[in-house]
Amino acid sequence: MDTVVQLENVTKRYDGAPAPAVSDVSLRVQPGEAVAVMGPSGSGKSTLLNLVAGMDKPTSGAVRVGDERVDMLSEAGAARFRRRQVGMIFQFFNLLDDMTVIDNVLLPAQLAGVKTKDARQRAEELLSTLRISHRRDAYPARLSGGERQRVAIARALVNKPSLLLADEPTGAVDSATGEEIGRLLLDLNAQGQTLIVVTHSPELAHRYARRVIRIADGRVASDTPVVSGPAAAS
Amino acid sequence: MSAVLHAARGGLGGRRLQAVIIGLVVLVSTAASTLALGMLADAHSPFDHAFAQQHGADLAFAVDTTKATPAQFANAAHVKGATAVAGPFAADDNVTVKVTLPGISGSLNGVPLDLVGRPAPGGPVDDLTLQQGHWPTKDNQIVMSADGNGPGQLGATVTIGDQTLTVVGIANSVTNTADGWVLPAELTAIASQAGTHEAQLLYRFGSDATSGDLAADASAVTAALPKGTVVGAPASYLSVRQSEQSSVAPWVPFIIAFGVIALVISVLIVVNVVSGAVVAGTTRIGVLKSVGFTPAQVVAAYVLLVAVPAVTGAIVGVVCGNLLAAPIYRQNAQVYQVGVLGVPFWVDVAVPLTVLVLTAAAAIGPASRTGSMSAIQAIATGRAPRPRHGFLTQRALARLTGVPRPVTLGFAAPAARPGRTFVTVVAVLFGAAAATFGVGLSVSLNHVFNDIAQGSRLPVQVRPLPPGVTGNPAGPAKGGKGGKAGPHQSVGIIGPRAQPLTAAQQRSVTAAIDAQPGTLHYLTERNDSLNFPGLGTANGGAFITAYGGGDPAWAKLALISGTWYSQSPGTAEIDVNTLFLTDTGTQVGDIYTMVNGTHKVTAKIVGEVFAPGNDTDVYMSPSTLTAIDPAEAGVSQYVISLRPGVSADAYASSLQGALGDTYNVNANTGSGKELIAITVLVAMLTVAIIAVAGLGVLNTVALQIREKAHDIGVFKALGMTPGQTLAMVVCSVGITGLVAGIIAVPAGIALHHNVLPTMAHAANSSLPASVISVYSGPEMIGLALAGLVIAVAGALAPATWASRSRTATALRTE
Repeated sequence: MDTVVQLENVTKRYDGAPAPAVSDVSLRVQPGEAVAVMGPSGSGKSTLLNLVAGMDKPTSGAVRVGDERVDMLSEAGAARFRRRQVGMIFQFFNLLDDMTVIDNVLLPAQLAGVKTKDARQRAEELLSTLRISHRRDAYPARLSGGERQRVAIARALVNKPSLLLADEPTGAVDSATGEEIGRLLLDLNAQGQTLIVVTHSPELAHRYARRVIRIADGRVASDTPVVSGPAAAS
Repeated sequence: MSAVLHAARGGLGGRRLQAVIIGLVVLVSTAASTLALGMLADAHSPFDHAFAQQHGADLAFAVDTTKATPAQFANAAHVKGATAVAGPFAADDNVTVKVTLPGISGSLNGVPLDLVGRPAPGGPVDDLTLQQGHWPTKDNQIVMSADGNGPGQLGATVTIGDQTLTVVGIANSVTNTADGWVLPAELTAIASQAGTHEAQLLYRFGSDATSGDLAADASAVTAALPKGTVVGAPASYLSVRQSEQSSVAPWVPFIIAFGVIALVISVLIVVNVVSGAVVAGTTRIGVLKSVGFTPAQVVAAYVLLVAVPAVTGAIVGVVCGNLLAAPIYRQNAQVYQVGVLGVPFWVDVAVPLTVLVLTAAAAIGPASRTGSMSAIQAIATGRAPRPRHGFLTQRALARLTGVPRPVTLGFAAPAARPGRTFVTVVAVLFGAAAATFGVGLSVSLNHVFNDIAQGSRLPVQVRPLPPGVTGNPAGPAKGGKGGKAGPHQSVGIIGPRAQPLTAAQQRSVTAAIDAQPGTLHYLTERNDSLNFPGLGTANGGAFITAYGGGDPAWAKLALISGTWYSQSPGTAEIDVNTLFLTDTGTQVGDIYTMVNGTHKVTAKIVGEVFAPGNDTDVYMSPSTLTAIDPAEAGVSQYVISLRPGVSADAYASSLQGALGDTYNVNANTGSGKELIAITVLVAMLTVAIIAVAGLGVLNTVALQIREKAHDIGVFKALGMTPGQTLAMVVCSVGITGLVAGIIAVPAGIALHHNVLPTMAHAANSSLPASVISVYSGPEMIGLALAGLVIAVAGALAPATWASRSRTATALRTE
């Protein structure tokens, strides 16, 4: 497979909006790439991410992830697609407050019908890797921002997705924690994980991505490789 | 105030679903309560309405015109308390006539009639209502009473001595003062032939509520006239009123039960809806307070928010309650000839007002709690609501293996909001209990109608026609004046004693019956009406039925207790209905002495028969009847029960053909209209309450989805399919519904076991076990699932919405 993600002339217009949120965007992401999508608030970068994840449908154009034509999937199909292929990391973590850490991480595997024993083993491995095993029975309200994001990353990886999508993963944490999260993502990418990160931070983009796509007013303003930085170096 | 209105209007715009739910539950509770209270007010209303409209006679005196002068009668009209007097009208209460009916050859002799001579139907007292024809305009014309003895058809003739009168009109007297009316001169001629000097004097009084009042009034009138003028005791309207008690009285208890259930469930749901609206609008309340709303203004805004749909629902509910009651009122209006009857106006005002006050009260509580929060607290609570309950349940259910995760997520949801869950359980419980009650009630009523309706038990009757008569005259009536025809008798003429069948006739009839393939059983039947000790005379004493020639159980009357009487000639045993036991103060097993003139029979009461109504019924063997009334000997008719599936009309037609036209074979199947009407009413009330319970669930689930919209978005982002979302939401009320349903079954059965005896008591009866014990095991299991069905049905719409919502949209929800 030479392309993980392919967008062809994708436009997304919301009802009543004066201008499209995403306008005629075409781009490709190769396996193992770390791509940063940057732009000011309201530029359409989160919308772009949602379209790739199948959480929204474009008004026109085609969205492909692997062999899947994501824009043509039904809601059920899109949900199954996300289980198999996509791991989502959100700015505000989106952990479920009435579930423990381990239960949050297990959730995608349980929805996918993975055997309990296998799911637990995978979850424990991820918690250990992400150094939050000691918090497995805690509730999200008791965790720090960084810990919560690590739980969210573990949850995103539990089904071994081919694509990891992160929407402002360091937006709700302090800079030190942000650095930590960034390094985690870098490590994942170094292991071959394809990564698309939405961020408004140029520093994050240049440090942890090999390619930066700038979005402005819903259009691709620029698409440039990062020539120096840890991601580029790897 | 305008700010409060503005705030309420804005809140209403964003809460359309809750507004619709409030409107609908208020509508249902108002409709059910209007019906219930209207029926309760109607227990005596039709008769009272008719009595007032027709200026009914409180007291009807029989007077001897030779003992007082016209001036003395005029003077007696001014006794204390009398507001109107009519008469004296010449009367003769001992006229024996010969009756011929149009289209039927031959005549009926010896028919007893009470006749009164009146110049016109109207008057200050006992204003007669002409139902057919016209008042006599000349001699040899008579108007018959619609409810009395005598022919009920225009063109029939009544022969008294050598005078033949033609029936020119049918009229109704609310207190049944006579069997027929003629012009005064006509009556004078009839009376002079008989040598009587009777007259009828009718009085209305200002204060006449109790029998004590009437007794005092009767004494005053008697004292105002010369001694001996008043003959016997006057007829009191109270006796007639009691016997004419509205046929809806037995239905009042169950309608009230439904009304109370509807009211309680509606209050619960309004509390739930408003609590939810307040919780969902906590941020909004905080913003309102931050711009200057006082706690009282916040409460006012939310009460107004509830008031708009509630008032709409209450108005429509009153209309619906009146429409539901219309068929029952229409029936009573026809019976009492009072034009149009309806729900009393005060009910139409009191019920919606009460429901609205309860609704407002339900809204004030939750609104006050949140209104008293500080603005910052309200905004913060609304923006970031944190679950406070249900953690352990969530955790425990997450450990369940073998159960799909969406299902365990759903099962855990009720624990997160225990208060709301409790209210929902109670609402579903009431709905499921109403279903259990409604099902049992319908089955019981079906049993009741089958038990008491002659058309169900003994649909075919055979009797000989009097000599010289051919054709198909109406059969014997039951009760005397004032007795309305029951479901197992046809209205007609109390003729001369029915001629017993000869031995040859009996052989012919039984051979013909035996030859019919549809015959199941047959019995001989003889009827009589006697005044026994301890019984009131309002209905002419006890109505006797003597079944012979077989097991009296073949009559298929239900026994409440005891056994059927023995047919052995030397054994005097009787079975009686509940009213007999009540009136005589006896019980099954007691010895009772029947007295008829010089004849006395001491019998043992061996059974209590289920025969509700205002008549005292006694069942005995033909030999016992002959012993107490020797004139009633022999066999007067045969009554036949049929094999299942046999058409009564076809059977009767075949038997008539076999017997010829000297016999009358009558198929009395009854229309069952009353049963159908009541069953439909029960079904409508049950469905309405179930619908309200379902709305309560819908509101709970809608609130839940609103609160959990973001979480649902997360689930979907993580790969939960629409089907899994639907399952999760439905399962969130599934346990609630199942638990409620399981509790509801015994609750509904308990309600059934309490309401039914109350209904029977209103119909002067106890109940046989067959009417009470109507719930089988499989039925109870099915009914236990009613709660689950209500819950799932209520959850489906919002669950479907949640499953179809876009993931990205849901994630954006705060």
